[in-house]
Amino acid sequence: MLENLTKDLQGATAAAPGSSHTNLSHSYSTKRDGLNITNCDSEPVRTPGCIQAHGALLVLRACDLSILQASENTQAILGHEPRELLGHSVAIVVNDEGATRLRSILATEPTDRNPIYAFTLPANGQLAALDVTLHTIDGAAMAEFEPSGRSQPTPRHDPNYYSFIKKSVARLQAADTVHGFCQALAEEVRLLSGLDRVMVYKFHADHHGEVFAESRRSDLDPWLGLHYPAEDIPKPARDMFTKTWIRPVPDIQGELAEMTPLVNPDTGKPVDMTFCALRGVSVMYTEYLHNMGVSAGLTMALRRDNDLWGLIACHHYSGPHHVPYELRAACEFLAQVASLQHRAVEDRENAAYRLRLEEVNQQLLSVAAQTGGLASMTDGEPSLLGAMHASGAALFHRDRWWLVGQTPTAMQLEALGAWLVARLEAGPVVSSVYATHALAADYPAGAAFADVASGVLAVHLSRSGQNLMMWFRPEVQKTVNWGGNPHDKPQVTGPHGPRLTPRRSFELFSESVQLQSTPWLEVEIDAVARLRALIMELVIVRAERLAGLNADLARSNEELDAFAYVASHDLKEPLRGIYKYAQQMMEAPPANEDDKRKLDGLMRLTLRMDSLLDSLLHFSRVGREELTLENVDMNDVLADAMEMVGSRTDDGRTQIVAPRTLPGALCDRVRVREVLVNLLSNAIKYNDKVSKRVEVGYVGAQEASLRSAFPAAAEGQTVYYVRDNGIGIASRYFDQVFKMFKRLHGREDFGGGTGAGLTIVRKLVERHRGQVWLESTVGEGSTVFFTLGKADDT
Amino acid sequence: MTPSTSSTFAAPIVMVEDSDEDFDTLCEVAAAAGITRAIHRAASGGDCLAMLRGEGRGDAGGHLPLLPALILMDLNSHGIDGREALVAMKADARLKEIPVVVLTTSANPKDVAFCYLAGANAYHVKLVRHDQYVLLLRSLLHYWLDSVTLHAAMTKVD
Repeated sequence: MLENLTKDLQGATAAAPGSSHTNLSHSYSTKRDGLNITNCDSEPVRTPGCIQAHGALLVLRACDLSILQASENTQAILGHEPRELLGHSVAIVVNDEGATRLRSILATEPTDRNPIYAFTLPANGQLAALDVTLHTIDGAAMAEFEPSGRSQPTPRHDPNYYSFIKKSVARLQAADTVHGFCQALAEEVRLLSGLDRVMVYKFHADHHGEVFAESRRSDLDPWLGLHYPAEDIPKPARDMFTKTWIRPVPDIQGELAEMTPLVNPDTGKPVDMTFCALRGVSVMYTEYLHNMGVSAGLTMALRRDNDLWGLIACHHYSGPHHVPYELRAACEFLAQVASLQHRAVEDRENAAYRLRLEEVNQQLLSVAAQTGGLASMTDGEPSLLGAMHASGAALFHRDRWWLVGQTPTAMQLEALGAWLVARLEAGPVVSSVYATHALAADYPAGAAFADVASGVLAVHLSRSGQNLMMWFRPEVQKTVNWGGNPHDKPQVTGPHGPRLTPRRSFELFSESVQLQSTPWLEVEIDAVARLRALIMELVIVRAERLAGLNADLARSNEELDAFAYVASHDLKEPLRGIYKYAQQMMEAPPANEDDKRKLDGLMRLTLRMDSLLDSLLHFSRVGREELTLENVDMNDVLADAMEMVGSRTDDGRTQIVAPRTLPGALCDRVRVREVLVNLLSNAIKYNDKVSKRVEVGYVGAQEASLRSAFPAAAEGQTVYYVRDNGIGIASRYFDQVFKMFKRLHGREDFGGGTGAGLTIVRKLVERHRGQVWLESTVGEGSTVFFTLGKADDT
Repeated sequence: MTPSTSSTFAAPIVMVEDSDEDFDTLCEVAAAAGITRAIHRAASGGDCLAMLRGEGRGDAGGHLPLLPALILMDLNSHGIDGREALVAMKADARLKEIPVVVLTTSANPKDVAFCYLAGANAYHVKLVRHDQYVLLLRSLLHYWLDSVTLHAAMTKVD
């Protein structure tokens, strides 16, 4: 018989081209036509016309239980050739008692598309004991006969499956992650079934699959983490698992037995075997498994709600392995319980992840609030990567990118940021969050950095500007754990070419997921939106605090104003009185030289106090008065300033030079003139050289080589300077010289002065949002540098 | 306060001043320059206005027989200060032609701008150096009383 079948198979293969496709819909048989299917998606898996030959199938007319169709192997299993059975009552096989039992089941049990165990037909001579199951579909009753598990109990297993299942269910309920749940499921199914390898195979959104959890015989290579293309479990096969829970293939190399006749004579249609445990297996599927060394298989559905979430795929390698009806029912029950619990575990895991994300969000916020900036979110601990499953993050804040982890370059981010802002603003719905796992599909330029950022989750932190926060995930090809690299496995190419080998699967997969990352979870998108809300809240709180501080500052400025007035008027008036009386006493000749000296001192101190008050008054005005900004020719300003200090340069020893024409600036002409007058006066005053030289010049924003020692804040700005060959300032005084009334020399040395000049210079420069600093060598001279803010870029 | 010296037929000088020293200095300078007109003192801008409008109050010394030839105005005083008094006078048709010379310790450009906009005739900063201050007072008295030509209505009484 084996020879006959092999011959049939070969005959079918030879006859295939041209013949078999013509009337495929009515008389398809996997055994004859299965090898000619080129597209798995079109294979009629529900009506294969064949069963697995380890059991027998009788199709009965439901009303009278007469045999309409029989599998061609009934002689071997039931002791009758199909032609001896067709047209007779099923009693010919199961006796009157059995027929009565079947009739009773049909009448009382929910048999529609639901196989129900009827009884076990005892062994009879050459024939083994058989488990009989029955279900109905489209008016036909399907009686399946399989070798019984009852007559050959497996001593390894407790035949009381109920207690086993109870223990398994308790273990599944304790899992708090989907991974842990699936791992427990794989282990429990392997313990229950005794198969060599049990995998939980998860379908991704694009239907490609991943070995998500695995329990295996210790000598087998791990397949955990391997991905397979959607084509490996084609749509018809996936659809089958939304209808049935379990699919046994006890012998991968087992024969197929064709139905006789191939179509139901009552309906003229091929019989629907969706719910038959014996349903014939796709030749391509068995070849695929055989190529991987699999000798027996058992597959169960793992559903979430009504969708197929994945499969529990069991492989056996050490020969055929028949899982009898009862044990199969236990496995099926476990798969159903797992499907019901799956959602709860996922919710639990999401809740834990959500909690962790929120916790890190709060920490990020509290650090940002303490440090007064968002930069801590990339530099600090935790960072933006603290809880989020991402490999890199970037933040645009205070005119620059702050990065952590693996990210595109600043230049790439610049362009991506501009595109994102435009996209978020142009969208039909005002949205502040953008999430993709395939950036290049939306933004082709993203292909250039797909290796670090195929997945992008971005939020816009403000209504305007480029204030973005982003997380990145790499291209998935790089993240797959190829546990046991398929390239390392012994390759077997089946008789029908390399298409169904695992190696080919690997190649198909790597093609299909280019430029994609793992997708962002709803929990992650929610967390990012929440972080944005928290930041906005913080910004508002800070703005309010700042407004409060500004009001305080304005008040204290007013008080300073009032104080300055007191200084100018109320303190000056008594001073004038003192001076008057001192002078009047001097007019009447003092009694002696000592009295005269004291009166002189009184008058001198009075005048000094007067000039200090004047400086204080002037300084307070400099800080308060509005600037009048205009485009100013700095050469004109310098000419005015030189004229104002003119009298001091008339000594014939002083030369003021400007080696290059000064670039213009947006500034307050009068104030900048005062800066120059102060600096020129100092340059001349603190100079003991016979020939005093003062140089006024600038360093352009692009003259990088001259700017190495400049402070970072001066970057991109024209730097003006006044350089002298005077007495110089020791570096330890560089900061002090800018302080109010700080004098480095005796009161009367170098022509005296109140020590307010550089303080006023700094105040004026800072009013322009500029900076002032100096370089000096004692005895050789000083250079005072200043900028006038960003407005001078032109 | 009573005038130190007086000539009942000449238009007087009014000084708005809260400092005794400064008022004494003015009187000394006027005496030294041979000026015999009455010099009236108002302690505040408010007193000055009352004096000019004949609403003599408190120590302001009653009303004046003649409108003054010159008002020397300090800006800061209690009550209605010099600024307010200046604005009120320049808005008063009967008083607006009287020359008002601001004499103050404030060198604040805002004060200077305010006073000229309000119609002050001159603005001087009081000097700490007494000798220089005396010279300043002497020259300004000479200028406003002897040198400058004022409107006929103001001079006919003199």
